[in-house]
Amino acid sequence: MRRRAFLLSLAGLGCSRSKDRRLNVLNWSEYVAPETIPDFEREFGVKVRYGVYESAEEMLARVMSGNSGWDVVFPPNYFIRPMVELGLLAPLDHSQLPGAGVLDPRFQSPPWDVGLRYAIPYMWGATGILYQSTLDPAPQAWADLWKPSFSGRITMLDDPAEVIGACLKKLGYALNSEDSLQLSRAQAEAERQKPMLRAYVNEIVRDQLVAGELLAAQVWRSTAMRAMEAADGKLRFVYPREGYPLYADNIAILRESKRTRLAHSFINYLMRPAVAARIALTKLESTCNAPARALLPASMRNNVTLYPPEETLARGEWFQPLSANAQRLRDRIWTAIKSA
Amino acid sequence: MRNSRWLPVYAAALYGFLHLPLAVLAVFSFNSSRFTRWEGFSFIWYKAAFADAQLAEATVNSLLIALSATLLAAAAGTLCAYGLWKRDSPWITASLYLSLVTPEIVMGISLLALYQWIFRYLAIQLGMHTVILAHVMFCTAYVVTVVSARLRSFDASLEEAAMDLGATEWQAFVRVTLPRLAPAVASAALLVFIVSFDDYVITSLVAGVDSETLPMVIYAMARKGFNPSVNAISTLIVVALGGLILVSNRIEGREAER
Amino acid sequence: MNRLRIWCLTPAGALLGGLFLIPLGITLAYSLMTRGPYGGVFSPFTWENYSRLADPLYAAILWRSALYAVTATTICLFMGFPLALFIARSGRRRNLYLSLVIVPFWTSFLVRTYAWMFLLRDTGLINSMLLAAGVIHQPLTLLYTPFAVILGLVYGYLPFMVLPIFATLERLDKSLVEASADLGAAPRATLRHVIIPLARPGIMAGSILVFISSLGAYLTPDLLGGGKTIMIGNLVQNQFTSARDWPFGAALSLILMLVVMGMLLPLRRQSGGML
Repeated sequence: MRRRAFLLSLAGLGCSRSKDRRLNVLNWSEYVAPETIPDFEREFGVKVRYGVYESAEEMLARVMSGNSGWDVVFPPNYFIRPMVELGLLAPLDHSQLPGAGVLDPRFQSPPWDVGLRYAIPYMWGATGILYQSTLDPAPQAWADLWKPSFSGRITMLDDPAEVIGACLKKLGYALNSEDSLQLSRAQAEAERQKPMLRAYVNEIVRDQLVAGELLAAQVWRSTAMRAMEAADGKLRFVYPREGYPLYADNIAILRESKRTRLAHSFINYLMRPAVAARIALTKLESTCNAPARALLPASMRNNVTLYPPEETLARGEWFQPLSANAQRLRDRIWTAIKSA
Repeated sequence: MRNSRWLPVYAAALYGFLHLPLAVLAVFSFNSSRFTRWEGFSFIWYKAAFADAQLAEATVNSLLIALSATLLAAAAGTLCAYGLWKRDSPWITASLYLSLVTPEIVMGISLLALYQWIFRYLAIQLGMHTVILAHVMFCTAYVVTVVSARLRSFDASLEEAAMDLGATEWQAFVRVTLPRLAPAVASAALLVFIVSFDDYVITSLVAGVDSETLPMVIYAMARKGFNPSVNAISTLIVVALGGLILVSNRIEGREAER
Repeated sequence: MNRLRIWCLTPAGALLGGLFLIPLGITLAYSLMTRGPYGGVFSPFTWENYSRLADPLYAAILWRSALYAVTATTICLFMGFPLALFIARSGRRRNLYLSLVIVPFWTSFLVRTYAWMFLLRDTGLINSMLLAAGVIHQPLTLLYTPFAVILGLVYGYLPFMVLPIFATLERLDKSLVEASADLGAAPRATLRHVIIPLARPGIMAGSILVFISSLGAYLTPDLLGGGKTIMIGNLVQNQFTSARDWPFGAALSLILMLVVMGMLLPLRRQSGGML
């Protein structure tokens, strides 16, 4: 008897859940402000299921089938074209997106999605060098991460596109190069640098920089912002002289979604300047939303790391989707670097 | 049979090794700072953990999944080990071996491919059921391995004697062999409970919209580095489940005395 | 006799067939296909994914991974066997001691690994204590070394060794050990000639579980090894993530599985059919 009651209550749980009006959002972990989702639920009288992923590839694997159940995802710019080609993204209906005019001019019609047909830019980031402010001379270029004096006290990111990208930029080549000669030169640079490296690590490097165990590291800007916040001026971030990678995350609706109306409302909601400003404030990232930036406190609005001047921005280069052959070549190179 | 003098010392050292990271986690869950310097005692991370509804739901999901997977895998695995002990089946033995040597990511991707393919025709979505099925599958091989290791030292003549005395083969299994297998089944169950409770790779791939598990949430939080909230949850889990084990040990001990 | 056996094998057989062999078939099919321009898997069929494996780079990685796995398994055996023996001989307390082996593993693998990172860092607990005690004057580099990787593997998989050995020792026939002692055998000789041979199935099971798990490990080399070494698990993982080359990943994992099976079968025969 008791067992049957248990089973019934389980079944009931399943039913009551699916009856609610709801929206399923799959996003990077911690990529909205704490109140963003609850406020949206209250205002629209819906339930939001907020699922997270840890890498764009994981997101792609989970939605690839076209029957995943998710409605809204946040692909990075270099995933838009592949996802469109794979038939995963629904075209946006701009008549339902009156708020799209708020985007910064740079993102009104970005190269990866001309005319914003499939996705709305959300936040953007970059990769650079974070270093101890006591270093003299301060590192200014990727080439400085090859200095013997830093040996054993620097790290690079554990990410093939980033490490190979930094080597390519050091050599003066394009970030998304598919040229096998340029790539093999980049491999040689990386192999030369490897003995001097403490490790290849991602976000966890933050703590070691704050504690002063490392002198400098290749970092994502979001990691750098958090580290600098914790280190009271002991750390500084630089956009390397030779050029650096840029990336942007975008809001998109999956083709499989049956709640496109609500999904459009959700995108509109995220584009409201007040909402976007709160997200940018708590996440320490650069918003793609111009009026939202104006709402930020002056210390953040004018922060040169988050919103660098034009001449710095001009050195940045967007990550792009690579051809199958280039990706295979790069993976072979990455494997060789790692096992060198 | 008594332990010699050095064995307890060695065991104590090993327990120290096993519990050292745990002690560190517990201490730093009471730290008042986010970073790894000690800056004073506080409960803020426990408050943060309790306030997190997502965390609570994921914990319930994880416990539900691990419990069901453990029960089902213990049953299927024990029966299978018994069947194989009676007479080996090369097909099943080979598949069990293969499932043990399959990298997790491969199992996850291929299961995902299977689910996606079947469910597209049935219009079903991924969820708790798919996660539980996946866990039962990879846990069964562990149970068979542990229980078989125990069965190897068994004497088949006991069952034969029981059957000579008029027991059916089912009765012989349930009354004679199963009770002697119980400790092995229990240690196999403990093993697969932690394997299931801790699985991230396969789960994250086959989980659907409503089946987020604790490792998935913790993974998301912990990837960014040392996170005292995660320490707080981990400490709570260990204390809760550890307490449960202590209590059950007490009860067992008391029953044994009677 | 046979009916019961078939009933016993049916649930596991169905699970393995439906949820393992069929998906494995899908993996096999993937390994013979081509990668699409944006990831995904497409026909035509090709052997190319297998011919790429002739690259000596991949053999070197497999060899290094096997070395790490064998080291970790050996250490686990030397640590795990005495512990299992201790637990098996602890009488009424044995359940408690057994649980104590398991308890640390209720925390997420990732969290436990971070705890080790915290202990091993330059400014970590071990270095601070050694510095304070005056044993060393410069912090030792412990984290991001092969030592840290082995430590992580041993720590992570020790229960896989202890539990099966315990399961065989647990009901070890006491009279055999006593007989051996009565016949004048020293405890050491009893251990060598009586206990270890009887515990052999458990030792084999434990070693196989630890070896396989260590061989496929990919988070430990990343987090404790600082990503400076690549093990076969990382290589497979990379194909399904950053490289988005599922067909090559599938071919790689099937070859890996074949190699491991090839290594295990002789062991299995030697142990007289462990599974």
